[in-house]
Amino acid sequence: MKRSYKMPLVTVALAVGLSSGAYAGKSDDTLNIAFDRELESIDNYYNTAREGIVISRMVWDGLLYRDPKTNEYLPNLATSFKWVDSTTLQFDLRQGVKFHNGEPFDADDVVFTLNYLADPANGAKPQNNVNWWKNAEKLGDYKVQLNLKTEFPAALEFLSGPIVMYPNEYYSKAGPEGMALKPVGTGPYQVTSVEPGKRYRMKKYDGYHAGSPKGKASIGNIVIRTIAESNTQLAELFSGGIDWIWKVKPDQAERIKAQGQFTVKNSSTMRIGYLNFDASGRHSKNPMNDVRVRRAIAHAIDREGIVKALVKGESIVVDSLCFPSQFGCTSDVPKYDYNPEKAKKLLAEAGYPNGFETPFLAYRNRDYAEAMISNLNAVGITTKFEYLKYAAFRDKVQDGASPFNFGTWGSYSINDVSAITSHFQKGTKDDYARDPEVIKQLEIGDTSVDAQVRKDAYKAALTRIADQAYMFPLWSYNTNYAFTKDVDFTPTPDEIPRFFTATWK
Amino acid sequence: MASSSKSEPVKIAAPLWGRSLRHQGVVIGALIVATVVLIALCAPLIAPHDPYYQDLLARLKPPVWDDRGSWDHILGTDHLGRDYLSRLIYGARISLLIGIGAALISGLIGTIMGVMAGYFGGRVDMVVTFLITVRLSMPVVLVALAVVAIVGGSLQVVIMVLGLLLWDRFAVVMRSSTLQIRSMDYVAAAQAVGCSTTRVLMTEIMPNVVNNLIVIATLEMAHAIILEAALSFLGLGVQPPLTSWGLMVSEGKDMMLFEPWLITIPGVALFLLVLSINLLGDGVRDITAPENRN
Amino acid sequence: MLYYSLKRFALALLVALTVSLISFSLLYISSDPAIAMAGETATDADIEAIRQLYGFDRPILVQYFDWLQRALAGDLGQSYYFRTNVSALIAERLPTTMTLGVTAILFAITLAVPLGVAAAIRPNSLIDRIALFLSVMGQALPSFWFALMLIVLLSVNLRLLPTSGSDTWLHLVMPTVVLGYYAAPAIMRLTRTGMLEVLSTDYIRTARAKGLRPPVVLFKHALRNAIIPVVSLAAVQFGFMLGGSIVVETIFALHGAGFLAWESITRNDLPTVQGLILVFSLFYIVLTFFADLINAWLDPRIRIN
Repeated sequence: MKRSYKMPLVTVALAVGLSSGAYAGKSDDTLNIAFDRELESIDNYYNTAREGIVISRMVWDGLLYRDPKTNEYLPNLATSFKWVDSTTLQFDLRQGVKFHNGEPFDADDVVFTLNYLADPANGAKPQNNVNWWKNAEKLGDYKVQLNLKTEFPAALEFLSGPIVMYPNEYYSKAGPEGMALKPVGTGPYQVTSVEPGKRYRMKKYDGYHAGSPKGKASIGNIVIRTIAESNTQLAELFSGGIDWIWKVKPDQAERIKAQGQFTVKNSSTMRIGYLNFDASGRHSKNPMNDVRVRRAIAHAIDREGIVKALVKGESIVVDSLCFPSQFGCTSDVPKYDYNPEKAKKLLAEAGYPNGFETPFLAYRNRDYAEAMISNLNAVGITTKFEYLKYAAFRDKVQDGASPFNFGTWGSYSINDVSAITSHFQKGTKDDYARDPEVIKQLEIGDTSVDAQVRKDAYKAALTRIADQAYMFPLWSYNTNYAFTKDVDFTPTPDEIPRFFTATWK
Repeated sequence: MASSSKSEPVKIAAPLWGRSLRHQGVVIGALIVATVVLIALCAPLIAPHDPYYQDLLARLKPPVWDDRGSWDHILGTDHLGRDYLSRLIYGARISLLIGIGAALISGLIGTIMGVMAGYFGGRVDMVVTFLITVRLSMPVVLVALAVVAIVGGSLQVVIMVLGLLLWDRFAVVMRSSTLQIRSMDYVAAAQAVGCSTTRVLMTEIMPNVVNNLIVIATLEMAHAIILEAALSFLGLGVQPPLTSWGLMVSEGKDMMLFEPWLITIPGVALFLLVLSINLLGDGVRDITAPENRN
Repeated sequence: MLYYSLKRFALALLVALTVSLISFSLLYISSDPAIAMAGETATDADIEAIRQLYGFDRPILVQYFDWLQRALAGDLGQSYYFRTNVSALIAERLPTTMTLGVTAILFAITLAVPLGVAAAIRPNSLIDRIALFLSVMGQALPSFWFALMLIVLLSVNLRLLPTSGSDTWLHLVMPTVVLGYYAAPAIMRLTRTGMLEVLSTDYIRTARAKGLRPPVVLFKHALRNAIIPVVSLAAVQFGFMLGGSIVVETIFALHGAGFLAWESITRNDLPTVQGLILVFSLFYIVLTFFADLINAWLDPRIRIN
């Protein structure tokens, strides 16, 4: 929208607010942030939401750190690492680092953390992040060895992100319950108060180690509140109570941007949407078993139109079951253009000249689902649509009870095909294709250490998936960030806002 | 609303029609309800567009009175480019269907229970009272959620769920009305003459409680329509692409601060419908039994 | 009186048990407790192990009695989501909801009773029409819309009140109004009806004839009698508030028991939902029980029936 936009209900006060309320954040050096859901625990290993990952980057550090721009693995708590053999990693640790409670960081902390996580009885979530190594050994006060169970190419990826180091003395006393109320880490921010699920207060950690690739934080205080209702978040932004929100809906973001009093930024994410079909008959004998039907549906969906009109932002249409930046991802696979005529022909060939009715399941983006339903109606396919909450959706799909569904996957921001394609097509609970060829190729990709071998295997798998239309990739997702004009914040494509790089203008 | 609290000379009761026409509330209420019913019935004839047709290039167009609006879409379009006026017209059908369906089901259940309890008293009464209290203590949201999770959401399910949840007021009112009537002479007379229980219920009790029944029915109709809006807000109501006014309100929520007409239009429609049903119910009560204002 | 109380109490207890049994069954039928407990990334083997370990494969009645036994001893289990004690979780969130409920019902009564009395004194007048209009508004206005409108007006535009949260009493003003206006119509109509009836009785005519001043007649005699059904209704409405508070707590970011209930339902956190239902229904039953008692004390005829 080129014209500036006037919000019908929010009046003059916004202009007034600019001179008093809107700078409140900067004036007391506090950035007020809103999340839309309660964290089950602030302890990094006992939550699964993205919000937990965001807080984790602020409060704790890992041995390595992946640079969000170059995707390089930089040293953080470890100053160097070495592959002794394909299942053994050695680390030299940084000296002079202190935890927020004064405890010094050394090999004991690393060994304790890694062995604690390796024990399934401790129930760290998600297990996939921690179940690939056997144990860790102390080789010296600042030298550690990690023994993997088998070759695991994504090892460095995990060690530079989700795996963070805990203080052994504190954690063995306080455990997850204590950590959830009084978190202690080495990160650029330290938590000063926790009201579980409601509000988290943090302040800049002055003792943060100088060599860290994250850099020292600039903004002095951060307060995170949980506000579930999106309109309330917007109202707080407009009235000056909150300085920074994210996941703003595209239509809302557009208008806020046009209105001109807040900064709105958009960034792509690794999340992609997909359609999953019961290709193997796992659910029942139904039209989705037939590859021509699946291809017909692929031709029937106007992905480009939906992206332009509904998804917007930096989203793109995606042609293979992975996000373009992920290692092993390629779009050199069979593609399906938007062609309703071809779809109808394929359906007729498959024996459905008048279409058919099918159940259709989704858990988010109801409007995208409705747009797709409309596309399907146009080629004769009618749907019995069910819109469930995520937990119910996941259960139903993984139980084999859904022949046709629309889902999304964010790969936990892990930049590797193993985090998505293998999740869905390697004979797992979400796999309705159960193709032995695909499973074999994915297995090769997941366990080889040679980069080229991995790429070739993944390409073979992705090609077959696209050719057989086992799952139909739709588009990538994007996130809108809206914040007051006195904040300088740059989003990253992994959808993990880094507040330690944000500054006041 | 009632006209008889000032003392008036006692008249022979004017014909029902006459009293109705002079009662403002009933007239207004009946007129609005009749209009909505007419709109619902003639939907295919008067709706300017197909309510399900999506035009992704014409999303969120404002109504014609905004300077960005046009006569092509008099009430604008929704977030999928569907004509809002047409959706409003077709939504009337669903909202009315829900109101009538739920009122019928709950009316049937509640009346049977209430009349039985009032007439037979004793243990039957105890059981019915117990059931009523249980029903009142059950969280509505949980029942709706569980039913939808088990059976799936659809129009029939919504009507059934609402019907199963709204019978309590019927039961309570029918029970107390029956209790009142039961001790009347004419009932005793019918029993003395040897009429069977069914006969007594049908010919003596029912005709005399039917006024209250109608009043409660109109109230529960409005109640069901509003409850469906609340269920839609939680995702448990009517499933798209079907549309009801309640669903339109909940779909418009995200744009509330930016394009408020998305909520205001179906909101006003809901308000008018509920208002008119209330007027009708109150009016019927006032007309048929002016001394019985409870 | 004692016998009456005991009878009502026993009945109330039976209701609580029935409600909790029905809810328990509904919950366990509509979502698999083993999957809910195991979480997102569990394998089939994990889930089966949990099913055996916690006995989720036993008949529902057996599981229910197991839960009931522990609940009676004060152990409501552990939340699947937060991994803390359900009783502690509820104890932390309940005060917000209770405070909100009490202020809301007080607001409703303060608004509705005088309005009902005024409408009854002058039926069919302007004030009566206004009262009716407000009453319909109270029923037909979606509460989330009303809440957000208030926020936009009072918080964003006029900067008079804070937008959301629960830190100060100012934060409770808008939530109280939104929650209370929903209960007001019924209370107002009942007061109006009751007053209309009472005002036309011989009892009042006698009081007037005796020369008592109108305010005395109104309040000391008429209202005291008319208020009886309103007392029960207020108790019932307070019970409903606990349910209606879901929307209000969500919009105003008040982390109370209502918000917890809805979030727990969507997260399949069965123990928390079950615990909350028990607490809510107990509250509701206690309230109606006491309302019944008050009524019986005020009107002996009720006792004898």
